[in-house]
Amino acid sequence: MRDLFYDLVRRNGMAVAIYLMLAVSVWVFLLIILPQLTMLDYSFRFNLPPAKIGGPEDVYTIEQFKYFFQGGGSSGGFNALDIGILFKTLFSAVFVTVFDLIICYPVAFILAKSSSGAKARLLVLALIVPYWINEILRAFAFRILFGSTGVINEVGMGLGLFDSPIDFIREDVALYAGLAYAYILLMIFPLYNAIESLDSNQIEAAQDMGASWWQVHAKVVIPYAKPGIASGMTMVFMLTSGALAAPQILGGPSNLWFTQLVYQWFNSGGNWPRGSAYAMILLLVCITLVLLTMRIFKVSIGEIKR
Amino acid sequence: MTKEISLEHVWVEFGEFTAVQKANLNIAGGEFFSFLGPSGCGKTTLLRCISGFQDPTRGVVRIGGNDMKGVGPNKRPTALIFQNLALFPLRSIADNIAFPLEVRGVDKKTRRKRADELLELIALPGQGDKKVSELSGGQKQRVAIARALAVEPDILLLDEPLSALDLKLRQHMRTELRAIQKQVGLTFIYITHDQGEALTMSDRIAVMNKGKVEQIGNGRTIYDHPTSSFVASFVGENNVMDGTVLTNDGKMMTIDAGLGAAFKVENHPAGGPALAPGDVCQLFVRPEALHLAKDDSGINQFESKFVSEEFEGNMRHIVLDAQGKKLKLSLINDGTNAIRANAPVKLDFAPNLGIALKPGELASA
Amino acid sequence: MKMKSPKAMIPGLYLTLFFAYLFGPLIIMVITAFNSSNFPRVSPWECFTTDWFGKLVADDALIEGIGNSLIIGIGVVVVAIPIGLAAAIMLSQVGPKLRASLYTIFIAPILVPGVVIGLSTLIFWDRIGTFFNAPYESFFYDGTFLTIFGQVTFIAAYSMLVFLSRIQRFDHTLTEAALDMGATPTQAFVKVLLPFMAPAIGSATVLAFLASLENYNTTVFTIVSSSTFTTVLSSKVRYGLDPSISAVAVIIISITLIGAIIFEVRNRYNSKGWALVIAERPALKVATHPGTVAGILGVLAIGAVLFIQNYDSNACTAQILEEKRALQQQLMEQQSLDTPTPTQSAPSSTVPSMPSLGPLGGDEGGNEGGDENGAGSDSSAPASNPFGGANGIFAPQNLRGSEGN
Repeated sequence: MRDLFYDLVRRNGMAVAIYLMLAVSVWVFLLIILPQLTMLDYSFRFNLPPAKIGGPEDVYTIEQFKYFFQGGGSSGGFNALDIGILFKTLFSAVFVTVFDLIICYPVAFILAKSSSGAKARLLVLALIVPYWINEILRAFAFRILFGSTGVINEVGMGLGLFDSPIDFIREDVALYAGLAYAYILLMIFPLYNAIESLDSNQIEAAQDMGASWWQVHAKVVIPYAKPGIASGMTMVFMLTSGALAAPQILGGPSNLWFTQLVYQWFNSGGNWPRGSAYAMILLLVCITLVLLTMRIFKVSIGEIKR
Repeated sequence: MTKEISLEHVWVEFGEFTAVQKANLNIAGGEFFSFLGPSGCGKTTLLRCISGFQDPTRGVVRIGGNDMKGVGPNKRPTALIFQNLALFPLRSIADNIAFPLEVRGVDKKTRRKRADELLELIALPGQGDKKVSELSGGQKQRVAIARALAVEPDILLLDEPLSALDLKLRQHMRTELRAIQKQVGLTFIYITHDQGEALTMSDRIAVMNKGKVEQIGNGRTIYDHPTSSFVASFVGENNVMDGTVLTNDGKMMTIDAGLGAAFKVENHPAGGPALAPGDVCQLFVRPEALHLAKDDSGINQFESKFVSEEFEGNMRHIVLDAQGKKLKLSLINDGTNAIRANAPVKLDFAPNLGIALKPGELASA
Repeated sequence: MKMKSPKAMIPGLYLTLFFAYLFGPLIIMVITAFNSSNFPRVSPWECFTTDWFGKLVADDALIEGIGNSLIIGIGVVVVAIPIGLAAAIMLSQVGPKLRASLYTIFIAPILVPGVVIGLSTLIFWDRIGTFFNAPYESFFYDGTFLTIFGQVTFIAAYSMLVFLSRIQRFDHTLTEAALDMGATPTQAFVKVLLPFMAPAIGSATVLAFLASLENYNTTVFTIVSSSTFTTVLSSKVRYGLDPSISAVAVIIISITLIGAIIFEVRNRYNSKGWALVIAERPALKVATHPGTVAGILGVLAIGAVLFIQNYDSNACTAQILEEKRALQQQLMEQQSLDTPTPTQSAPSSTVPSMPSLGPLGGDEGGNEGGDENGAGSDSSAPASNPFGGANGIFAPQNLRGSEGN
């Protein structure tokens, strides 16, 4: 830390070095690390009324985590509901991530390799525009689209595909479509950047040597774009599993997202320690999954960019 | 105004890697001094030691007699012209040139006046309001020099400033740089891997290899009397033959290079460590020193066979085979053609044009 | 000329489908904002109306939320941009080993779920506040401050990435050149590096402001008892679908589109190829100047607002209302002939414009409302009527019920 500071002083002068150190320290310690540690601390405490905080009953406990596994009943139970919600959330997030990858890869490839100059820039702009529209409004649009008198049902019934309206909300179709839609851009951009930097001659050389189009992709483009694919998938997975607005608006009545559990314990439940414990569980599980996947695909965190 | 520079036993080490070993030299005030060497030879590191961006691991850098240890680049009387020129792209030409004055708190009017003067000097009058991107390569070059001269430094350091230019412009800028140096009378320290630049412009040249200064001297000395195999093979082209010293009387040596009769070669007084009879040596003869023998009477005569020819317009470069050794012969294209394929080619060279040195590392082609 | 082979058309076709997925929902949402139907939908089309915009202006909660969002957005920019810039500069100056670990720390807030950041921020400042025995009015418990802190945590990382991609293109010999010419390190920073970073500061500011404006996950925790644009919007959506939300979308989409158009025009205007074309025709120069384009768009926007103010959809709405009454009348008469069933009698609710559309729209309320209730465990009384109240389809009770599982 002292060496770092001296080095910064030597390069930038005292005033700038102080600014750099101060700004980064405030960020890292006051905004990132300490709040997370406080939350960790909270998750190991009982939910006590303010008067008892700091009193003899304010001791560390694993009660909150135990609740997640065993539920509120007597010991030995199994909290099938909450654990089920966690697994469903993760599974759905994986599904949405893979879906996004499949639909975005061709788009990124076409944009990066088949379009040129002004056209490509216009298409990229067209990709960004929907992303600047509020998350809530995007979810709302899907609510309209998939409602029982929504456009999809109207068209479907008009074409005679089905007789009575399908309840897409209840079936979670609207939720998946809305989530996939919400983070499309975060999948396309890393893919686009990765594929764009691939020398087109490599593709042509592969074709020249007799590779079929899918061999070109499987053996040349995809291995090259692997860091982009990994960072796109990481971003989409983390954002989907951490989403709150879309599940609140598009989620079916009997279907909860894990973030909604956190929200409930925190707000309506008024149980901050349990909310913290659930948030910790979400954070740990997600990060473990991402690190595991990155290990499998041999990609480092340094390659993740927006 | 001009100050002399001395490097005393300067070493620069980066971890295990030694970039500069024991550099020991003096550069006189007002001199045009070049460091010549292949890339990675440590010449840029040495320049950074002088300009203050690099501290030597050991040794002393003195400018005008003062030890420069702990003096930052912004406090040294040097101005560096970077390889990529490092003009500030967001500033106008005049603001670029006036930058050194601006950071010294000189007022705007004085700055502008000085910038205009310097623009006159580099023959770009009235171009001060242009953007950097609007200038040609040669013009940028001159702006970089003007900017370096703005605060009247004692020493101008140039790090391969011509390498980005095309051939014609490069040759033109050589003359121009030399003219500017004569005009302002500053010490110029010039870094290059291009021997043509070093030879045409410099008062003296230091040839470097692998962090070591191999030889210091004026262009003529370096070219005609190299003191190491590396210098002989790096500066200009050279044919090299392995041989054994037969006799050495201090003025003249005889050397057996396995090509018939022993060669007679002058023993140069400047030439490094002496060779004793029985020593293995390397014999260097430049392509232009080789000569088509007129008759059989001359000294240092030997036979070879024609292999191929490269035609360069004014010069003809002929590759010959002398008992398995490939040799190069350069001839002025005077319209005659005395060489026929398959016929033996008789060659000779003057004793003062052969250089015998202790075997050493050759510059890679 | 040869026709394109079917194979060559696949990319174009795919792109078309993809952009349909991207824009389709937005376009439909925009259309619903102009339909006088109380439920946001495209069909059946009742009347063209701009009343929903009027309703927005009168929505005090929304206006207050927007005000708070703007304050928070400015606060976030002021704090996050200097932090992001400092982080990017630091990364560009340290050795590779330290850089890798610093980068991991800096990038982490982007990967941490927003709810976790919101929650931890709230808890942390609450504990600090308790430690100092701060009163409840102090900033430790103030939604605006907490939201700024929470959002800065990850928006600083976004802006850092913007700065990083710019600083990677910075030629460090420029700083060395400045030092060599006598600049102090601070002067080199201020006169060389900072001007180089200026464009990135601009774009990072826009990005940070927009990210702040649209954030929900973190804000919903840190805002405490106050509100922002997104939290107001979210409670509106959750407590009842209403075309005035579509109207909000129309406004946001218009602003985004206008911004995008001006950005694109500015880019083209400044690009080299265009500069040549423009140079030959002065008229074109005026016409394509970003200022001109912005002016034209502004005039169009004012025109639209004036049109909205003057347009009166009352006649049409009244007519539709009449038609519905007639239809209802007819149904009632029919019912009195047939055996009356509870479901059929229900449409005659207190609000005539909404439910009773017979076979076309009427069962929408029934269907969705019913499902919500069926699944919700303990929804309260009024919602148990499948047709709900005035906007009963997504009445608050229903959703609360479904969330309370």
